[in-house]
Amino acid sequence: MAETLILLTIGLPWLGALLTWAAGDTHPWLQHTLAVIFSVASGIAALLLIPFGKNQVLVTLPVGGAFGDFTFSPDGLGVFLVAVATVIGSLAVIFSVDYMRGEAQLGRYYAFVLFFIGAMVGLVLTTNLLLMFVFWEITALTSYALISFHNDDPKAVAGGIKALIITQFGGLGLLIGALVLFSHTGSYDILTFINNPAVLPAGALAWMAFGCLAAAAAKSAQFPFQTWLPDAMEAPTPISALIHAATMVNAGVYLLARFFPAFEGVPGWREAVMAIGLLSALMAALMAMVATDLKRVLAYSTVSQLGYMVYAVGAGGVFASQFHLLSHSVFKALLFLSAGAIIHAVGTRDMRDMGGLGRKMPFVRLVFIIGALALAGLPILNGFWSKELILEAGLEHGNPLWMLIIMLIVSGLTAFYTFRMVWLVFYGQPRTELHAHDAGSAMKVALAPLALGTVTTWLLAGSFSRLLSESLPAHEMETYSTAYILLEVLTAPVTLLALLVIGLGLLAWWQREWLAGAGKALAGLKNLASSSFGFEGINRGVVLGTQLSAEKLRDTQTGALNWNVAYLLIALILVLAVLALGVG
Amino acid sequence: MEANTAFILAVSLPLLVSPIIYLVGRLAERNNPKIDLARWLALITLLADGYFLYIAGQAFITTRHDLLATVGTISLRLDGISLLLATVVLVLGTLVTLFSGPAVRHESGREMYFALLTAMIGTMIGLGAADDLFNLWVWFECMALCSYMLVAFHHHEAPALEAGVKYLVQSALGTVLVLLGIGLVFASTGSLDLDEIRMVAQPSTMLLGAGALFVIGFGVKSALVPLHTWLPDAHSQAPSGISAMLSGVVIEAGLVAMLRSLGALHLVTVSWGALLLGFAAINMLVGNLMALRQTQVKRLLAYSSLSHMGYILLGVGAGALMGEQYAAAGGFFHILTHAMMKGSAFLAAGAFLYCLHQTNGNHDPLVVDDLNGASRKYPLAAFAFSVAVLGLGGLPPLAGFMSKWQIFVGGFQTGNGWIMALVVFAGLNSVLSLGYYAPLVNRLYRNQPSEIVERGQPIPGLMALPLMVLTLGVVVLGFWPTLANWITNPAAQSLLMLFGG
Amino acid sequence: MTVSLPTVVVIIVLGLIGIGIYALLTTRHLIKVIVALQLLVKGAMLGLVLAGHLTGQQDLGQSLAITVIIADTIVAVIGMALAVQVRRVIGTLDLRSLTSLRR
Repeated sequence: MAETLILLTIGLPWLGALLTWAAGDTHPWLQHTLAVIFSVASGIAALLLIPFGKNQVLVTLPVGGAFGDFTFSPDGLGVFLVAVATVIGSLAVIFSVDYMRGEAQLGRYYAFVLFFIGAMVGLVLTTNLLLMFVFWEITALTSYALISFHNDDPKAVAGGIKALIITQFGGLGLLIGALVLFSHTGSYDILTFINNPAVLPAGALAWMAFGCLAAAAAKSAQFPFQTWLPDAMEAPTPISALIHAATMVNAGVYLLARFFPAFEGVPGWREAVMAIGLLSALMAALMAMVATDLKRVLAYSTVSQLGYMVYAVGAGGVFASQFHLLSHSVFKALLFLSAGAIIHAVGTRDMRDMGGLGRKMPFVRLVFIIGALALAGLPILNGFWSKELILEAGLEHGNPLWMLIIMLIVSGLTAFYTFRMVWLVFYGQPRTELHAHDAGSAMKVALAPLALGTVTTWLLAGSFSRLLSESLPAHEMETYSTAYILLEVLTAPVTLLALLVIGLGLLAWWQREWLAGAGKALAGLKNLASSSFGFEGINRGVVLGTQLSAEKLRDTQTGALNWNVAYLLIALILVLAVLALGVG
Repeated sequence: MEANTAFILAVSLPLLVSPIIYLVGRLAERNNPKIDLARWLALITLLADGYFLYIAGQAFITTRHDLLATVGTISLRLDGISLLLATVVLVLGTLVTLFSGPAVRHESGREMYFALLTAMIGTMIGLGAADDLFNLWVWFECMALCSYMLVAFHHHEAPALEAGVKYLVQSALGTVLVLLGIGLVFASTGSLDLDEIRMVAQPSTMLLGAGALFVIGFGVKSALVPLHTWLPDAHSQAPSGISAMLSGVVIEAGLVAMLRSLGALHLVTVSWGALLLGFAAINMLVGNLMALRQTQVKRLLAYSSLSHMGYILLGVGAGALMGEQYAAAGGFFHILTHAMMKGSAFLAAGAFLYCLHQTNGNHDPLVVDDLNGASRKYPLAAFAFSVAVLGLGGLPPLAGFMSKWQIFVGGFQTGNGWIMALVVFAGLNSVLSLGYYAPLVNRLYRNQPSEIVERGQPIPGLMALPLMVLTLGVVVLGFWPTLANWITNPAAQSLLMLFGG
Repeated sequence: MTVSLPTVVVIIVLGLIGIGIYALLTTRHLIKVIVALQLLVKGAMLGLVLAGHLTGQQDLGQSLAITVIIADTIVAVIGMALAVQVRRVIGTLDLRSLTSLRR
């Protein structure tokens, strides 16, 4: 049964991808229908898979050789992310029925969305590190294809290629990790490795640990690779919700959480993970405070929240990080999809042109505010509970206190930019003449469950804890009941502190005019934040440098026969010299 | 049929039939130019040849013993390497023949084209099977002769002539160097038989020099940087089917010739493998950088061949130097997948060139801007082209990823720090290569077709068929890479035998 | 001072190759390029004959030489045919006008 379900959750979306593509762009309704049917079906299969969550290889495709056997196992970490990917995936597809209506090349759109869902499922279920890398790269490929879905727009193309190249660059770390594992053990099996990481010598283990960290940072848009995610916002908004908020960007956190038991002993690894999470959370929050593009604010907040999760893994709070991942997936998908409804209605992403939209879009305002409050970490929404758990984890295992303090400050910043965003979009006087209408019916069908989830998923804390602890023996997690976890959060002093900081953030937005005077001192920081702390400049420099050297190198192709002959002779002399010296 | 007979037939059939193709085609041209007899005859020949090769290959695979055959003074050996080369050559050659039917339909001298193409396929099969140093040179020279004429097939166009001249001069210089090397080997060992040379060749200055001459001489053909300068010209100016052959198999045939000759000298120095690895690094980097800013599609693909030759060299170099089976198998796997992907890319580019330019009487090269929005009108060719270039960029689930992976695994298996660094460098190069592959795909899928696309003619069915076959192959091998093991593993074993077994 | 025959031949071989390569590097005339290639091949061929002589296999050396002559002649013919075509289409045999394909 579980075997079939595993194959179905991967196979159904991929089959759907083929069919929607084959249906042809002359039948848009058939494409919409097929996409919805197949994504929902895979969502159902994924939900049915949850009770089977256990730490055991169930599906094996005997490939062998340099590729290992392709194996799949439905452990807790896997099935929970499968459910997130497929359920939010199907909601994004349903949302797309309204959002993408009338667009050209729908077949390509849906085929890649479904292809992505299947690949994401494969990524979290497989226990073969090579296969994980394969799925990892497929998600990068689909992400690139969907970011630049509007290929006529040079910004979309540039954003897609940037995302592809940066994540691929980081992905080399995972490649090194997989190669190190295979060259030492002759197998790619993750489960055996995690249960006994001592099969690798310390040096190799360190290479693997830091390689995986680089890959995770690139995938989850963490420091120093964070620059691709804001530019990825050129994608159609359901894609931003699904791939660049709720699922693919979580793969990095998943990778760190998955390998935590094996890597935690590597000297400096946990500290590096925490530092990366902290830097990303802080920098992105600062950038979100000054951004004016609605989707970019959400993108920065995604980087920032992912920073929390990465920090949590480093701090030893694997459960907290995964629980926040769940909350974040739900409320951030909600925020992005509501933002999509807004953008679809008003035709701009610039918040400076919005304002006062709340009256025209009451439903969207309601669900957006629910998501926003969860993002800010206000009780009793799901974001509150999981964020507090992360902060608590920051206190344990002798983690540095200054890091925790900065993370607390970031939660205040989060509250600040969240309220700023809500205010700019929905309240005040309309700043331009915008014709807005409330969300369409398919959009509402997608938004309502997410809003409901934002209010309720924290009730799953107990079952989530059981699922993870029972199926991940190597992680040595304990099982707690929901009541215990909630009580724990409510009575922790750090919760009170966090609420205080969040309140301060709120107050800061309230008193922003008064603060404006004091803000002069912060102008330097503001400029730094709006110039992305110089990282965009570094990116541009690398690209320009490469292009320049490529142009210069082209001059060596002179097209003159005499020169070509001369190259040949020079090469001959060099080879003779090398052989005379005896290399190898 | 007896395996040895089948083997001899597989080598000789294309060469024997080639003149007949020309004569029959010539006569048919006079009587009824509508029936393109030369093309069908060539196709039947290649299919029959495939049958003979199948029988011979079957015997080799089941017994795991090299097949040896002698015809007059020509001695032939079917081992893993020759089987791999022959299979790749025949499959790609057949598809190119199919593709070329419509592509050269309106050209004068098409019977010559098919005769030469068939002959070139035959010489490459022979080259892979050569068991004697001088025979190797003769096969190599014959292959070169066929390819000179095919590159300059459009002999009324100045660029094609220019490319042909450069190709001929540089390649001929290369063959002279090889000949000098053969002279040195002959003088110091007194033998031309590769096996005998293997036994007696001892470290000496003369043989070291001979090896260097082989590296450079054969290296011209296999496009080692900086001997590559003919390649972008020839690949971009040749008829597209020939570009596919040149890039997919001819440069690899040059590499096989180099490996055979160096393998015979493997006792002379251990540096051969290291030398190949050095060229691997240079080839990958230079090829990618040269391609990065290209605007002509076929020239871009030509430069990308340089970098892919680098990956192949990384695999076979690590195999030769460290005796690493996975690396060698990966190198040969990459020869196979590169032939499929680059063949598909060149054929798709050729299909675009044909539909967008040639049928409208335009002889301009295909530039990247011409491809804008091509998927709207040519969904199939655009898809094939995208799959091919993304595969070349090493994205899964496509074959190029898997063959690169196998090379990388082999590199790490050696445990040698330099080779592992080279593997990481190769990975970086893959990322760099996406900088020019990905924008191509983006262009194809624009919503607004370019003016040239809107004026384009439909793609003939026979042009589309090879594209579909190759695309399917690229995807299937991407999902199930070990399907190619039956041919890459014996080739790797033969390589390891060659360098020290 | 007596100079042995092999030494003389080696000097001739090196001379032919040197002249050929010098010509390839400096000449700007297509026909001269083809002539230079001929010189090179002749040098290499002489080397083969010498090698046959040195190892006591004159017959083999000579048969190799004949094969090389055949192959080499075909190369020369194709080269000349290309040159004729170049003269017709481009109008000159100057290599400097054969540099349109670059970068």
